[in-house]
Amino acid sequence: MMSENVLRAARYPFLPETREFVSRNIDLSLESLEKTGSEAALKRAVERVKNALIFKEVKVTALDELNYVREMLSFPIAIILVSMIMNEYVRRMYALGESRGAYRRMLNESDETLLYIGEKMGVGGVLDDENTIRVKIPTYLKLAYSFHAPHWKLVNRAVNNGYVSMGKTEYARLIQVEVNNYVYEKTLEPVPAGAVPDSFRRAVDEIVEVWGRLETGKASRVPLREREDTPPCIGRIIRRMENGENASHFERLVVATFMIARSRSIDEIIEFFSKQPDYKYSVTKYQVEHLAGIRGGGKKYSVPSCRTMLTNGLCYPDEYCKGIKHPLRYGEKNVAGEPRVP
Amino acid sequence: MLQASLEFLKREFFKYYYENISRLVPPEPIKSREFGFFLEKGRGMFRHKCFNSLRDFHEFILNEIPLDIYVSAANYEDPGNRDMSEKKLVNAELFFDIDAESVATVSEEESAWICQKCNQYGIGLRDGCPSCGSPTELVRLVSEKQLNGALRETEKLIHVLREDFGIAPENMRVFYSGNRGYHVHVNQEDFLNVTGEGRREIVDYLLIQGLDEKELLNFLKRGVSIEGVSLKGVKRRVYMRVLEKAGSVEKLKTSRRETVLKMLEDAVEELKVRIDPVVTIDMHRLMRMPESINSSSGMVKRRIRLEDLPSFKPLEEAIAFGDEETCLKVKIAPRFSLGGRAFGPFKDEEVELPAYAAVYIVCKGLGEYAGR
Ligand code: SF4
Ligand SMILES: [Zn+2]
Repeated sequence: MMSENVLRAARYPFLPETREFVSRNIDLSLESLEKTGSEAALKRAVERVKNALIFKEVKVTALDELNYVREMLSFPIAIILVSMIMNEYVRRMYALGESRGAYRRMLNESDETLLYIGEKMGVGGVLDDENTIRVKIPTYLKLAYSFHAPHWKLVNRAVNNGYVSMGKTEYARLIQVEVNNYVYEKTLEPVPAGAVPDSFRRAVDEIVEVWGRLETGKASRVPLREREDTPPCIGRIIRRMENGENASHFERLVVATFMIARSRSIDEIIEFFSKQPDYKYSVTKYQVEHLAGIRGGGKKYSVPSCRTMLTNGLCYPDEYCKGIKHPLRYGEKNVAGEPRVP
Repeated sequence: MLQASLEFLKREFFKYYYENISRLVPPEPIKSREFGFFLEKGRGMFRHKCFNSLRDFHEFILNEIPLDIYVSAANYEDPGNRDMSEKKLVNAELFFDIDAESVATVSEEESAWICQKCNQYGIGLRDGCPSCGSPTELVRLVSEKQLNGALRETEKLIHVLREDFGIAPENMRVFYSGNRGYHVHVNQEDFLNVTGEGRREIVDYLLIQGLDEKELLNFLKRGVSIEGVSLKGVKRRVYMRVLEKAGSVEKLKTSRRETVLKMLEDAVEELKVRIDPVVTIDMHRLMRMPESINSSSGMVKRRIRLEDLPSFKPLEEAIAFGDEETCLKVKIAPRFSLGGRAFGPFKDEEVELPAYAAVYIVCKGLGEYAGR
């Protein structure tokens, strides 16, 4: 019964048919998972999460695909494990890892398969000719706003009759964003505390232990505290800059756009930047005014999205980041819960 | 404004609403919209109001005779909630506002200045009082020339919405705002859920902001003919305009880079659609209610059918009141035309004007009602 479709379902376990296959053929209730000896799937699930934390990408080999039952089952289990950890950084990193892996794999797919995945994920596309796919404008806007590069701006796109045209790679990028959103949302769903088998708890400990040995995400391991006005990612950069540490170009952009968004005056912002070792008044003034839209055609630059922050290694979330997609929304959706810390 | 003037306005407004109430149909579903009103001069907006039925809405208007009526572009789960985030936004129409002011400046002859401090006034755009030096209040009349400019801008907007955004004509409603601008409401299913960030992108597209000029410039300098480039959307439009300006591909190739850049910038200036960005980005915006009176002019926010757009005459077709002679004490008024007739200029005189022109002068704060 191992058809191309089954392999595809194993390769992209977020597709609805994978869910269907799993629920049709396997009892997913937590107790029975323990009994039916899904050891292998659990192990693979741990690997998925570790892959995401260590390599920022969940890899799926040809061998994994052949083991399709284990593979398909490992995805929902991995989500359960991640939800059990109850930590924003792990949630976000896992979603990023899954979506990145999927993106890489999608690049090697035929047009039909790519369009099929897009369709199933709500990113419907129409193939125009060999190299262009068009997507409805609202779909495009929903997904592309999290990219910062100018060529993703609608004004720079081929827009016609309600559609935006793009190459296959860019189309796969859009799907990636949706996969990321989907996986992340899934990890927010709470796990019924009583029903969790011991093997799952041990798996969680294993992941937390590995994560504890990694440099990244340390800031997010502080337990729940009072919410501040500034999201932790930006607060962290600001504190480092206040200590005179040299910030990267991108970090400065983040801080400047954030301050502009919070209506701080240009002078205040320049004053803040004056602590930087390589500070030059005229250059800083020019750059800040540019970001504020006072120069350069009046385009105001926005604060990068959480996605962009995460991909640049700058996301250090706490529980008040739960469910948000943009640092300016920090604290808006908070559903508190005690986070797991290593 | 004197009490007598206010009463005069309320009487005239009542007559209009009494006869035309059936024209005031808010977008559906009425239950999920927030309404806002200006009920008295100088008082803040009465908002967070909601209605269960069209009848309740009409009853409220006929009871209160508001000076201005607004309805939300958004649908909410709880539109009456005073807390914006508790209203629970469901989705929102796309709303565009083109203000004549952003298209062309108003001329001296169509304006008046008034000094509230020492009660001096005159024709023109003086921002400081010549006798006491305090800042003046400027009154700009509705200028036909300005409105024509705004109308051309509105046509540009509709063109781009159709061609590029694929908005079907039946999902687009165009209005004269009743004062100095035009509104376009877009109610197309797939666009209702576009977020604030997405709307910002639409705004940047229309205003041609953040355009990658370098890429275009390189194309242009290489002298690629329009058939040769696979450009679409606004880039294509800019490209074609520059080609037109230059006359030929050859000219472009031999022109200096700065010259071509200048042509490009000029083309952008011509092609951009001058909408008010804030209005479109803000999903919680209240829109002036269609077919209601705009109290800054006494004219109506009038629906314009797309096919009538080229020939639409706002200063005749948006008149709400009759032409019974009305006695007015006019402080100052530049020459103006309304309802196909020309009036003024006036200074310190008692004049008899048809009701619609009298309402206009009172709304603009240039004169007071003096009995019939
Ligand atoms: S606001 Fe977003 S980017 Fe910043 S720490 Fe929270 S989740 Fe990460
Ligand atoms: Zn004065």
